Amino acid sequence: MADIRENDVASRDEDGSASVSRLAWISSGLGLLLFLGSVGVLGYEGITRGNGPPVITAMVEEVVPAGPRWLAHIRVTNDGGKTGAKVQVEGQLMAGDEALETSVAEFDYVPAGSEQKGGLFFDRDPRAHDVRLRVLGYVEP
Amino acid sequence: MDITRQRSFLHDEKQFAHALARAAAGAIIFALPLLMTMEMWELGFYMDRFRLALFILVTLPVLFGLSYFAGFEETFCWQDDLIDALSAFAVGFLMSAVLLTVFAIVRLDQPLPEIIGKIALQSVPASIGAMLARKQLGQQDDSDKERRIRSSYPGELFLMGAGALFVGFNVAPTEEMILISYKMSPWHAVALAVLSLGLLHIFVYTVGFAGQENAGDDGFLSVFLRFSVAGYGIALLISLYLLWTFERIAGLSMMELVTAMVVLGFPSALGAATARLIV
Repeated sequence: MADIRENDVASRDEDGSASVSRLAWISSGLGLLLFLGSVGVLGYEGITRGNGPPVITAMVEEVVPAGPRWLAHIRVTNDGGKTGAKVQVEGQLMAGDEALETSVAEFDYVPAGSEQKGGLFFDRDPRAHDVRLRVLGYVEP
Repeated sequence: MDITRQRSFLHDEKQFAHALARAAAGAIIFALPLLMTMEMWELGFYMDRFRLALFILVTLPVLFGLSYFAGFEETFCWQDDLIDALSAFAVGFLMSAVLLTVFAIVRLDQPLPEIIGKIALQSVPASIGAMLARKQLGQQDDSDKERRIRSSYPGELFLMGAGALFVGFNVAPTEEMILISYKMSPWHAVALAVLSLGLLHIFVYTVGFAGQENAGDDGFLSVFLRFSVAGYGIALLISLYLLWTFERIAGLSMMELVTAMVVLGFPSALGAATARLIV
């Protein structure tokens, strides 16, 4: 049998993939789908996202007690074209024009088109004051 | 005819399932260092989309070539190689997806392009690992046919390139590549280039590894120029391509660029040298 198999290489090449097993079709079909899908999504993203700078905004989601202090959950969103790294967000509790308290959080990355979550700790209850959130800056990754 | 159809694993459901399982093991083992590298996750979402898409596109011909020279199962026509290449990509992609999800690097609340970017980038080394699984984890059954193809000159160059890509890729995403090049003086770079080229030549032609090339009757200079120098050139070009893909070279001066290329060229050259042993 081994001899027959060895001698049959030429005819094998001719009848080609007609006898390829169903599992091989499924796995290679899936591979093609994933391949085209990845390249398609990335290409589409590359065309539509643009190449502009990061446009990063921050907002307070909710305030909860955290031990003896208060925690303001914040969410930063990047609507720009590029990812910002080391994004610093500063939160201040305001009494009129005066800042009573300042806290800072730094996000390693805020990818373009995505949002990241974090938190700021305060000694006073942020719900009793105006909270001013400012995105201070970023570096290019 | 029935006997003919059993000739290749591809045409036998059970054998092919076995080959796929081995490919999955290879994907995990070979891609593990990169799956657990922080820079890879970050590159997955911030690197230029077109460069990432191009990188994925380049992977398919590499997989096809690897299948042609030494895939996870024996192949006999180009359709078989294509099926193997696509299957390896599927295995690599799915393994990356599973592991990144388990590591909580990929979460369903992230935007789709971010998820796809992270998984697609990892699926490059994973699918190459899937393709290499046969030689490393499977039976050693080099047929005469394969040996003949592998000893052709373009085949040799392709394998060196694939080895350089795979080993170079394993370190290219890390920041250390650039950091090392910042620390080096031009003389260090020259020394590293000479060392890379020397090791490339020694690994392939002198040290007694299994599967090493036989210099044959050709003179030292001919072999050195045709294989070692050419292989190092390929390793350097692939290093440059990897650095460009991972956006490591933007804003570098020419001197820094060349130094970074030589630094990454070192693992790439070793990859080129050992490709014929691994693949």
